[in-house]
Order: sequence, then structure tokens, then C-alpha cells
Amino acid sequence: MTITSHTNIHLIGTKSLLWSDGSIFSDNAYSKLFSNELVAHGLPLLLKQQTKSITFPWETAKVECYIEVFPAPSRLIVAGAGHVSEPVEKIGRMLGFYVTVIDDRKAFANREKFPEADEVICMSYLDFFREVRITPKTYILLLTRGHKFDVISLQELLKREEQLKAQERTTYIGMIGSRRRIAGVFEQLKSEFTHHHFKNIYSPVGLDIGAQSPAEIAISIMAEILKVQNSSPGRSKREKIQDYEKLKFYERDRK
Amino acid sequence: MNHLDFYEKVMSLRKQGQKAAIATVIRTKGSTPRKTGTKMIVYPDCKLHGTIGGGCGEGEVIEKALLVIETGKPQQHQVDLTEGLLYEDGGICGGIMDVFIESTLPYHS
Repeated sequence: MTITSHTNIHLIGTKSLLWSDGSIFSDNAYSKLFSNELVAHGLPLLLKQQTKSITFPWETAKVECYIEVFPAPSRLIVAGAGHVSEPVEKIGRMLGFYVTVIDDRKAFANREKFPEADEVICMSYLDFFREVRITPKTYILLLTRGHKFDVISLQELLKREEQLKAQERTTYIGMIGSRRRIAGVFEQLKSEFTHHHFKNIYSPVGLDIGAQSPAEIAISIMAEILKVQNSSPGRSKREKIQDYEKLKFYERDRK
Repeated sequence: MNHLDFYEKVMSLRKQGQKAAIATVIRTKGSTPRKTGTKMIVYPDCKLHGTIGGGCGEGEVIEKALLVIETGKPQQHQVDLTEGLLYEDGGICGGIMDVFIESTLPYHS
């Protein structure tokens, strides 16, 4: 929380940290009353995970305070450390994800190949997905070298997710593969996991942008992840322009 | 951009005693290039880390940031992108952003 406007100019720019239990730490000796006021305004926004500026009356004037929430980053798990995974890992980090790369081969899951990944894990896929933490902030990509590893991993995840309520499951599990192959696999999986809605399963992965090379495929995949994360339609923006043309753009008078 | 990376950068500037300014979008109205919470660092040589949207609006913020770096005194600037749809100096977005600009070093008046 940063004070951005105050009659006492010495307080402008001063900051405080607020935790969800209501405890507050400030870099300035605010009065107890003022601290309490900040907590009263900040806490509801923190609980709603909402970043915004607020104003409130204080003594004889108004105080403006910018309140920013810091949600834990979403986690992107990339299973398989092959060609597509390299650009996926890079773009994932650029988009602010905490990126984990996992592969069962030491020659692939190593720091030379992924020097900047947040985590590089060499482990069997099944062991990893048996233990991995599942939250709505978890995004998983199954891009392993063989379709069978993808399917085994997916089965394990579906099995675990069936035990969870829909809102506790991952937001996105993407599995690479050809349409035909996947159609066959899904027929089988759907009969095997009847308590799963499959709404968070995206397979084949990616938006249809004609991607061919690893970099293109990575963009198609990450574009789909953004679309899901932001609950956006993922269409070309110009498709919406007709609605705005009717509204017209009005010039304001120049000052 | 990642929050942690950003703050690590700010902390390292602070530790080195290096002057720079942080510009934060604290409020928006209408259609703006970036959302509330977007931040950038402005260095005294006008170099940037991050962007609050580019264009003339960002240019105005950079100018104000240089002042903040010099005086150490935080200030606000309103970027108005609603004027001059087709003029060279107009933004293409059509909204208003309030930007809070502060020094990386603590302000002692």
C-alpha cells in the first residue's frame, strides 16, 4: 500500500505491507489510528485479490492510497524437455509463470539446457505426477517424447482430480498429439474417468494458427494458455470492431 | 513482467544508491494500453525497464520521472489519451491513466 496523495507531503510515497491476517508493517511511523484505517480499507481488497487506488477522508482532507495485491504466480509444468519445450519454457517465464521442466532423462532435464527455468526436475513422469500439487493456479503441458508417457501422466492426473471438487482442479492440462490419435485416447479415457468433466483438458494443444516449427507451436500453446487464464475468446480483435463503429469516437474539446 | 524480478531490480538499485524512478499506473479510465499495477523503471539517461504503454504518454511520464529523480519528491501525472484521435500527439487508445512516480531512493525533504 503506497500513499499517493496526502496533505502531509512527507507521507506521500510511504509504504506499508499488509498480510491477509490483518497484520501491517510500514516503513513510516504511522499513527495507530491511521494504520487501522489503512487495514480497514486494504483488507477487503486483499481478500478479493484486487489492485486499485482508493481515497478516504482523513482528518480534514482526503488521503489517496494505491493498494496492490501480489498473488503467487501461476505454475507452468512442462513435462518433456524436447524441442517444443525450450521456447515454451522461455515464453512461460516471460509471461510471469513459475516454470517447472520435468523429464526422465538426465541429458534433457538439466541446467545447461534450461539455465533460467525456475525448476528443472529429472524424475519419472509417473512419480512426479503422483505427488505434484494440484491447484487452480497449476497449468500442465504434456509434451513428452512418446504419446504413452503423455497418456500415463494424464491418467494419473485425471485419477487424482476426480477426487477433487471441480474448482480445486488444475485450470489447464494440455496434451500434444495428432487429432486422430487423441480422439481414440479420449474415447477410452472418458469411459475410464466418468467423474471428471474434462473441461480443463486441452488436447490437441494450442490455438489454430498454422504452427509448424517449435517456436510457432510454443506460441500457439502459450496463446491458448493465456486465453484460458484470461477467459478470453481468443479471436482476432478486429472481429469486434463493428460493435464499436456504431458507438463512434467523440473528440473532446481541446483545453 | 514478473513482480519478483522487478522488485529485485529496484532493491539492487537501492543498495547501490543508484538514482532512478519507478512509475506505476495507479488508476485507469476507459481504454488504456496497460492496466492498473503496471510498472516501469526510468533511469536518469532515459533508459527504461518495462513499459507503461509507450508513445507520447510514456514520454510525458519519462519527463516527470527525470524531475522526480532530481528532486527525490514523488508526484503524480495524468496521461490523457482521449484527445486527437488522428493527430500526431494523440494516443490511439482513448482513455486516461494516473501514474504515480517515485524515486528509488527514500525521500528526505
